Amino acid sequence: MKLAKAAFLLSALWMPMAVWAGPEVVSGPGAEPECFAPWSAETKYLQWPAKEGPYRIALVNGFVGNTWRIQMVKTAKAFAEDPAMKGKIAEFKVVSTGTDAPAQLGAIEDFINQGYDAIVTIAVAPDGFDRVIRLADKNNVVLVPFDNVLDTDAVMQVNEDQLTMGRTWAEFALKELKAAGVTSGKILEVRGLAGNSVDRDRSQGINEVFAADAGPWEMVSVVGNWDDGTTQKVVADAIAVHGQFAAIVGQGGSNGVIQAMKDAGHPWVPVAGESENGFRKAIAEYSDEGLKGISIGQSPGLVAIAMKAAVSALEGNPMPQLISVPLPVADYTQLKDGANFWSDLPDNFFTVNEFPPCGVNISGPAIMAQSEADSN
Amino acid sequence: MILWLRRNPGLAGILVLFAGLYLIYHMLHPRGFTSAVLIQNANESVAIAFVAMAQTVPVLARGLDLSVGAVMTLTGCIASVLVSGTPLEILGGMALTLIAGAAFGLINGLIVVQGRIPPIMATLASGAIAIGLALLIRPQPGGEVDGDLGWALTNSVWDFCDTYGLAQGGAAWWVRPFADLPVPLILLFGTACLVWLPFKRTLTGRTVYAVGSAEAAALASGLPVRRAQLSAYLLAGFFAGCAGLYLAIQTSTGNADTVQAGAYTLNSIAAVVLGGTALMGGRGGVIASILGAFVLRVISFYFRILDIDPLLQPLIEGLVLLLAVSAGAFAAFNVRNRLELMR
Repeated sequence: MKLAKAAFLLSALWMPMAVWAGPEVVSGPGAEPECFAPWSAETKYLQWPAKEGPYRIALVNGFVGNTWRIQMVKTAKAFAEDPAMKGKIAEFKVVSTGTDAPAQLGAIEDFINQGYDAIVTIAVAPDGFDRVIRLADKNNVVLVPFDNVLDTDAVMQVNEDQLTMGRTWAEFALKELKAAGVTSGKILEVRGLAGNSVDRDRSQGINEVFAADAGPWEMVSVVGNWDDGTTQKVVADAIAVHGQFAAIVGQGGSNGVIQAMKDAGHPWVPVAGESENGFRKAIAEYSDEGLKGISIGQSPGLVAIAMKAAVSALEGNPMPQLISVPLPVADYTQLKDGANFWSDLPDNFFTVNEFPPCGVNISGPAIMAQSEADSN
Repeated sequence: MILWLRRNPGLAGILVLFAGLYLIYHMLHPRGFTSAVLIQNANESVAIAFVAMAQTVPVLARGLDLSVGAVMTLTGCIASVLVSGTPLEILGGMALTLIAGAAFGLINGLIVVQGRIPPIMATLASGAIAIGLALLIRPQPGGEVDGDLGWALTNSVWDFCDTYGLAQGGAAWWVRPFADLPVPLILLFGTACLVWLPFKRTLTGRTVYAVGSAEAAALASGLPVRRAQLSAYLLAGFFAGCAGLYLAIQTSTGNADTVQAGAYTLNSIAAVVLGGTALMGGRGGVIASILGAFVLRVISFYFRILDIDPLLQPLIEGLVLLLAVSAGAFAAFNVRNRLELMR
């Protein structure tokens, strides 16, 4: 009797566990495929039960304190005020936890407990989110990591394809070298933060394209940590040691590449790099003298896509589990002052912010105009 | 009770501050005063509270341990390798993790006491060594800590019993009174009560305080000064090991995150000061530092409830901290002999 009672109690208490909801795996295609493109043909689709809007959304950032992150936070706030989103968002809250895993997990859990509908986040580590994923599923909360994504296929994530970015840089450099009649020589590769998956994927893309070409190309690698100052130093050292390069392919800190070339009097050659405003200014200024440049960026505007994807998932649309955001590419033929770079704005500002296919039209000046003291 | 609080003004002050801040947070929270919110807050505070405990003991003996965050990171990486498999292997892995932390603390103590190297230098260097070892063990974040264990230890007592089928799955009458308590809090205060409080009553424990107040006098009185200093660093390593073990269980992985290690070391010192432990040693205690760590955390809880501009949050956090510490400094006005301030 006692046992039966206990068993009954147990089953009663198990009930809430049994209705663990979370997304259902469905077959594609999903909503707005031109914006929410699946990562590959194998990417599965997830579908959450539709909820009534407007929604409460939180952004849980980790590290804060570099231009990219600040621009990201500002973009998020501006996008929440965008006419296309304003009606769908009842409340939007932003917190930064620093590089502190328990604090970030706690903040995510807090927003789940507060009854928020979706949480977008830049994870401080690629692992360790099992508990909050479980809780999010239990409470039908849509959790969307972007930029630094998680090593899991249990949540919807948003990122740019870093391998393709590396390949596109290298293919552009090869195309420009061929056009200039150069078929061999030294290529300088500037790498990012060691041990990071983004650095690994970009470098792999760059090197496999040069290796596949008839060449012969001699690859020289230096590590610039995606930082202007470090990059300038290591590129200057490389130029001093190797004399001249046929082309330079840098992952980041592109302002530093340009400055080092200027300082050393290195002739302008094809240069591939990130999307800093200063880099684009230099390409526009010197492309006639031989600085054939291409600029592709990891956009702070990714946060807007992640927010839009969260809303779309809450509306009950099937969504790709891993969303590949199109690479924002601009080469020297496509640069236009006031459109995709701004000669009157600071150098270290990230130019790529807009994704027209997604209706994300927050340009650089719009972000810079938003006051930092502006309360949401 | 009142007498006890009057004898521990530091503890009383931080208790009132924490209780006030935390009550208001619960009142503002849409799901305030529920077990879910308490569990979530406990989870995010345990690692920092353990590190604050670790920092307190050397500080009481007028030392400092700049390696606590690094030892937490190292033991977390060790745990991410060892804490999986059969129940016996899991228990063994947990024990080895804690032993590794304590051993690292003992080495710190030996360098400081026998090597006569200033604690700041010694622990700064050993902290770098700990991070190096952590990177060797986990060049990339990863590891598979037992998932059931993670779920059981980061939830309520009821969930713990339910996961392991103990006490009729948590339905037994004697579990009822504690069923909603968070396991992490029991682990934290359990460790404090089972390790710190008994230690404090021993001769070695009292010598830790004596060394902090007046080292020469303690030595002249024939107290075991070296043993006290050694055990202070050993305990610091052990508590930092507890933090690392819990962090690994909570995230089910290990991550040799250098930035996080540094942040935890700095926050541990802040928590110690908030708890009223004198940086010059001799006064304070571990329980107050736990509350100090909680206060550090509670301040950031408010950013999730109130509308505060994200770019202003660090500034506000700093201002509140400064205010809290200044409030503690008011005690200086009541000092009868001003020379006591110069100590």
